[in-house]
Amino acid sequence: MPALEISGLRKTFGGVIALAGIDLSIEADKIVGIIGPNGSGKTTLFNVITGVHKPTSGRVMWQGKDITGRPAYQIARWGLVRTFQQAMSFPGLSVRENVRIACERARGDHETTRAEWGSPDKLLHFVGLADRGDEIAGAMPFGNLRRLGVALALGVNPSLLLLDEPAAGLSHSEADDLMELVFRLPKLGIGVCLIDHDMFLMSALCERLVVLNFGTKIAEGPPKLVLNDPKVREVYLGSDL
Amino acid sequence: MKDSPSKPNAPIGPAQDAAPDRPEVVRRAGKTHHGGRSTLAEIVTAVVVAGFLVGFPSMNPGYRFLSLAITTGFTAVALYGLGFQFGQAGIMSVGHAALMGIGAYTAGILAGKLGIGFWVALPCSALVSAVVAGLVGLPSLRVSGQHYIIITFCFCALLNIALTNGGQFTGGATGLDVGSIGSAFGLNFNKLLNTYYLVVVVLIICLLATHLLVNSSYGRTLRALRENETLARAVGINTNLHKIGALMVSGAFAGVAGILQAYYLRHISPSLYGPFPSLYLALMVMLGGSRLLYGPLAGAVIVSFLPEILNLNPIDSRIAYGVALLAVILLLPGGVSAGCLNIYRWLTSKRRP
Amino acid sequence: MQIFIQQLVNSLSVASVTILIGIGITLIFGLAGIVNFAHGEFLMVGGMVTWFLVVSGLNFFVALVGAMILVGALGFAAERGLFRFTLDRPMNGFIMSIGLSVILQHVVIRLFNEVQKTIPDPISGVWMVGGVDIIAMRAVVVGITVIVVAITYLAISRSRYGMALKASIADPDTAALMGIPVRRYVTGVFVYGSVLAGLGGALMIALFPITPFTGSVVIIRGFAVSLIGGLGNVGGAVLGGLILGLVDGLSAQYGYPEWTDAYSLVVMIVILIVRPQGLLGGTLGPRAT
Repeated sequence: MPALEISGLRKTFGGVIALAGIDLSIEADKIVGIIGPNGSGKTTLFNVITGVHKPTSGRVMWQGKDITGRPAYQIARWGLVRTFQQAMSFPGLSVRENVRIACERARGDHETTRAEWGSPDKLLHFVGLADRGDEIAGAMPFGNLRRLGVALALGVNPSLLLLDEPAAGLSHSEADDLMELVFRLPKLGIGVCLIDHDMFLMSALCERLVVLNFGTKIAEGPPKLVLNDPKVREVYLGSDL
Repeated sequence: MKDSPSKPNAPIGPAQDAAPDRPEVVRRAGKTHHGGRSTLAEIVTAVVVAGFLVGFPSMNPGYRFLSLAITTGFTAVALYGLGFQFGQAGIMSVGHAALMGIGAYTAGILAGKLGIGFWVALPCSALVSAVVAGLVGLPSLRVSGQHYIIITFCFCALLNIALTNGGQFTGGATGLDVGSIGSAFGLNFNKLLNTYYLVVVVLIICLLATHLLVNSSYGRTLRALRENETLARAVGINTNLHKIGALMVSGAFAGVAGILQAYYLRHISPSLYGPFPSLYLALMVMLGGSRLLYGPLAGAVIVSFLPEILNLNPIDSRIAYGVALLAVILLLPGGVSAGCLNIYRWLTSKRRP
Repeated sequence: MQIFIQQLVNSLSVASVTILIGIGITLIFGLAGIVNFAHGEFLMVGGMVTWFLVVSGLNFFVALVGAMILVGALGFAAERGLFRFTLDRPMNGFIMSIGLSVILQHVVIRLFNEVQKTIPDPISGVWMVGGVDIIAMRAVVVGITVIVVAITYLAISRSRYGMALKASIADPDTAALMGIPVRRYVTGVFVYGSVLAGLGGALMIALFPITPFTGSVVIIRGFAVSLIGGLGNVGGAVLGGLILGLVDGLSAQYGYPEWTDAYSLVVMIVILIVRPQGLLGGTLGPRAT
């Protein structure tokens, strides 16, 4: 039973059609990847699902509930949590306070998660920021901010985590570390849907890939099939091949 | 990648250092809430401040300074509200005096029309001011900080006009007379000294309340929405609700300050609560500092007492306030209280081996 | 009919001063990203300087130019000495401007005392225009304002300079990367707006008495005008000024005169809530901090 069901989702900004009618189902125990060229609507999709923008038309169902157009904070509390492309934190506050704020929002219905990450310090330990609790978030290097972003998202006790280009701007080893963490999440009861551009990473990590172009879904399926799909290759590599 | 480590909860690789070849110069958060030394310092400061407040009359200040202290006291109460909404939630207002006015006029009208005295009117003033503050705060959900400041200024001007033209109900431009505080706890409040102690008690309650609010999860929530509103929403914080809530708390403080002022002066008029007084409140809270516990108190004390001590006439003292404000913003953005805290930290850190 | 036209010119002359200050604010707030609460005091200083120079024997129009130069210099000093340091935290700049306004008010009181100042009509008498008697000075005020509005519109709204300013406030970093000298442009706009305030002050004292507190009365209308019309929008400031002038006139005729100021404030609050970007659209001001 898919946890997240999207039907006919459209979003226009003035004259620009960002999403042209998307249907998508995501289960709560898998890793699904979303890929597509720049401007294909990936971040807009996340924004509309999580309530940052209201859709022009269409429906978003989460755990059987219609969450279309609901406020962003409410959706987060219902366990559908996202991270941002830009590394977001509460810059003037310490790292520990950042995570504490997120943890204080959590509603405990995932007992396993809470036991592992019941406290901000445990969560910091998990993302590798254990000895940086007192640092001011805004002064941290970018890679650490990314880790903090993941910690914040996990602190809210998600059932499904939407990660928007989590590895962007990270070094190879940093990205590997992060993806290793992402890989473990389904076993801990957290589904993952992530946007990224690194095809190797995506095909290694994801059970399923969804390809967007100009706001429509042009392909969906296991990575090997999708990446060999002529439509997908044309979009990325041009049609002269 | 497909073969994961056996321990699913083991931490991922080490975090980045700031710059591997330089010594680690990281910015650390200052106060911890569990450090033994910090808590001791907090308690000592609290005792000293409380001691000074309570012991002030024993220094034989005389009528003038005692009156000044009372005025400083309830002004500080109002400043704690403004400091709370700005320091925690990041919402500034230059209409705060209007909220004091709501509290004061609520008390005045209750006294005049319904014969309700100070003690019953006190919670009423706080409540009415809180509700009005919440209503005036609704536009802040739709517009940016600078736009909202102007709205607060306009609200203050509007209230002024409404009070001046309120006829019988508000006493018009001349205002309302207010009785005296009824005796309670066996104390006669016609004595200035007792009024002073009343104000001190209220002030101490404000300090406690502020301390508790700031260090609670509520305080953290407000700081989150101040630091990054989008992220706050993404972690499940109902930012709209909390903004209005913070403004209502601030309004309640202002209402209490207003009723104290009304019963102290025994007469209120619209000019006490116009745009000018609001600007001075903003000035005081920025001068003293809005984020630290004693900031608002420091601001009130400096602005009220310094001209007396330095013997400045009203005009020169206002020029001094303005200059002090500019200096503070440019050099000490956290206010005088933050400056003092930095000096304290610098002194104590030098003693470490 | 005669009376109507006279009334119109009168209202327009009052609106003109409001428009001049509104244009200054809309440009400074909307395009330079600085909220200067002391802008009203700039106008007041302009008026005071004009008074002082006229009383010392200078011709009004010479004094007017003197006021413009002096207030322009004041603006330059304020921007370079104060606001330049708070461009990335506009809230602090706003609070500093409160301090600045307090300082200016009280320095003027110290120099010139609190009593209101007035000057004799620089241009006395009445002109016959199309068979209608119009008070000369008021017509001149309106005329000067029209010229200034036109110059401002062409120089800023329609020019590359104006586009550059709009870009700078939307995204200062990118603008700088594109080669726009953001800091210099900001200073330029600030000085220009201050010069307009000085001009407004000079024209104001030609029409009415002013006191050191005139600034705080005027600033609110200036903000109202620029917010109603849209920040950074010169046409918007004009529209806003006309609307407020109309509201004033109507309230004097049909409403309760004591509530006159209130109507303008309510209009502004309503517009801010319903259409925060203003009637003719504008920038959203400095990035909120």
